[in-house]
Amino acid sequence: MTIADAAPGGTKGGIARDALKRAVERSQRRQAVTMLVLMAPSILFVAALFVLPIALFLFRSVDNGEIRHLLPQTVAAVPDWTAGELPGEPVYAALVEDLRTLKDTPGVGLLGRRLNYAVPGFRGLVTKTVRNLPATEVPSKKDALIAIDGKWAEPAILAVLRQQSGRLTDFYLLTALDLERTPADQLQRVSGEQAIFLDLYGRTLLISLGVTLLCLVIGFPVAAVMAAASPAVANLLLILVLVPFWTSLLVRSTAWVILLQNEGLVNKSLMALGLVDHPLPLVFNRTGVMVAMVHVLLPYMILPLYSVMKGISINHLRAAASLGASPPRVFRTVYLPLTMPGVAAGCTLVFILSVGFYVTPALVGGPRDQMIGYFIAYFTNSAVNWGLASALGALLLLLVALSYLVLGRLVGFDRLRVR
Amino acid sequence: MTLSRPILPFVVAISLATGTAQSQTLTIVNQGGAPADAQRQAVFEPFTKETGIKITVDTYNQELAKIRAQIETKNLIWDMASLNPINERAGCEEGLLEKIDWKSLIDEKPFRAIGGFGECGAPYLVSPGGLVYDAAKFPADTGPKDWADFWDTKKYSGKRGLLYQPDQVLEVALMADGVAPLDVPKVLAGPGGVDRAFRKLAEIKPFVKWWKSGDESMQLILTGEVDMVYAWQGRVNIANRSNKRDLKIVWPAGYVSALIYFGVMKGSPRKEEAIRLVKYQLAAEPQARYAELMGYPPANADAYPLLSPEKRADLPGEYASRGIMQAGSLYINFWLDNGDSIRQRFATFVAQ
Repeated sequence: MTIADAAPGGTKGGIARDALKRAVERSQRRQAVTMLVLMAPSILFVAALFVLPIALFLFRSVDNGEIRHLLPQTVAAVPDWTAGELPGEPVYAALVEDLRTLKDTPGVGLLGRRLNYAVPGFRGLVTKTVRNLPATEVPSKKDALIAIDGKWAEPAILAVLRQQSGRLTDFYLLTALDLERTPADQLQRVSGEQAIFLDLYGRTLLISLGVTLLCLVIGFPVAAVMAAASPAVANLLLILVLVPFWTSLLVRSTAWVILLQNEGLVNKSLMALGLVDHPLPLVFNRTGVMVAMVHVLLPYMILPLYSVMKGISINHLRAAASLGASPPRVFRTVYLPLTMPGVAAGCTLVFILSVGFYVTPALVGGPRDQMIGYFIAYFTNSAVNWGLASALGALLLLLVALSYLVLGRLVGFDRLRVR
Repeated sequence: MTLSRPILPFVVAISLATGTAQSQTLTIVNQGGAPADAQRQAVFEPFTKETGIKITVDTYNQELAKIRAQIETKNLIWDMASLNPINERAGCEEGLLEKIDWKSLIDEKPFRAIGGFGECGAPYLVSPGGLVYDAAKFPADTGPKDWADFWDTKKYSGKRGLLYQPDQVLEVALMADGVAPLDVPKVLAGPGGVDRAFRKLAEIKPFVKWWKSGDESMQLILTGEVDMVYAWQGRVNIANRSNKRDLKIVWPAGYVSALIYFGVMKGSPRKEEAIRLVKYQLAAEPQARYAELMGYPPANADAYPLLSPEKRADLPGEYASRGIMQAGSLYINFWLDNGDSIRQRFATFVAQ
């Protein structure tokens, strides 16, 4: 019987137990409060500098504040507009009024840029229209706008105003999946020459899987040797693994460019040895990216493997051998299963880190080897399309979460932890 | 940007505290590297000596986003920025740069040949890019003579280097397809122009090594990884000088000239000092000094007579009619309207 099962009040023993229960609860509460107070700085830090910025940034992938802010009257007139058709006079009139308000303000540039994401050329249309705005007393604003530019009579162009008048938009997320909306609101794949992102996610996954596999194949024997070696040798090996781990990513990536280029050490040595007669293309291509990424990420595979292997008692292996198992069988049936938590943790770590890689492929890769991170940086910095950058980031986050779930299902979540 | 709002008061407090002490220091951002060193030597140091206004230089890679972030958070780190023509126009339209009537401050006549002043920025540098080959590899008269040769993979079987960026490269492709350089902007912006350029580019795609930075372009040609390359003049000059090489630019083949502008960040408290620096840098003598050091043609036509004869021989000079200027409403509007979708198409094109 536990304390909680005791009947409240009544007997003397009951009262004593109640007091005890309260005392225990109080002390537990105190402990919880102390824990919370001690952890408060780290919780606040993570919330303010990690969770909040990420949430705000992710919100940008669906945020549509710009159009509502810049074209308030047009947005208000949109509900009467049937999908697939040209809008009526009220929408055109509202548009003219909104544009009149924006005239001579940076709003024109902002609106043009925003609409240009959806329809190339819309920026020019806005600038041209603002310069030639019809007078207030013109009877039909619709005819006046069409007279300025025939594009105002094309449903395919105007549809963007109707589709993106809401508070939230799915435009960026759809673009990040190579999808677009037709004027009649149907979803369709974008044309082949504009379709870029699905291939990019595929390439990112492929490179990451390749790197993870290579890291495992190279890292596993190293970790096994380290775990089995005498402490002096193990320490030496550990230092050899850790020194590159402590070196800046930038330095290591650049060093590979120097080593692998046509006139680099690797090609010079191969040619001096007479193995090849002309330099091999080793850098600014997939080979270079794989080599550099495996090198950068190898410690993330070796360290979890080593920590798990270190904990495997030699007695298990001896027991298996004494029962008649051959060394390959001991390895397969005893050693390998025992290392699985390390394998799972190492693979997860390497895979998740490599999915988000940016610097290394940018430095040692060619245009065909850039991963999703490169394009997130491009849309953030150069194209200034923060909505799309954020949508690409959101999908990347989703991808990482999914791979974690899949890996967890495959090997068990408790095994993903390094013990 | 809502993100930085919580830290805004601190930033303001810090900038107020330090602002008064530093009011005589202009912070400029440019693209760094060799051109920036030349600019410091030829322009900034003499300017500081003359006016007492100190200059700090930061570097960026023409990321307009970095300017936008400073304007939106009202936390100006830079006072003025070096801008390419497309960013000058976009930044001006979106209110990131001060509108300045340069015509009333500086005589525009010597700048007319390159398209004059922008609404916000003043051009201080012309950066031409052209067909470059290594004279040591193609002796006497065997080197490529025009862009058609660059495209002729039977005559020249090696690799070629091209910039991994559609603006400049699509223009080059049209020249290779027989369009006269001065007609290129019109053809490119006209119906089917972009498709035509991509079709032409597809012909040599398997032979192309794409470069992403000026340094990389020189690395490709100097190490012999490519036989010929599209590259920028200043980089070629410096590579020749520091490596004792003989890289040649084939000006008559046709080339693309980018203009680089100075723009003042919106709301900069040192607008007056910034304008003084622009006036100083655009004058003939500093322009000539800069051209001598860096090798780029001066933006100010009055600076030409001040150049040494050898320097003048290096410049496109007499081949002005073979150069596409990245300027003018047609050109800039075309890239502002279609740049994003063309860049996306380009990335897909290269990756396939």
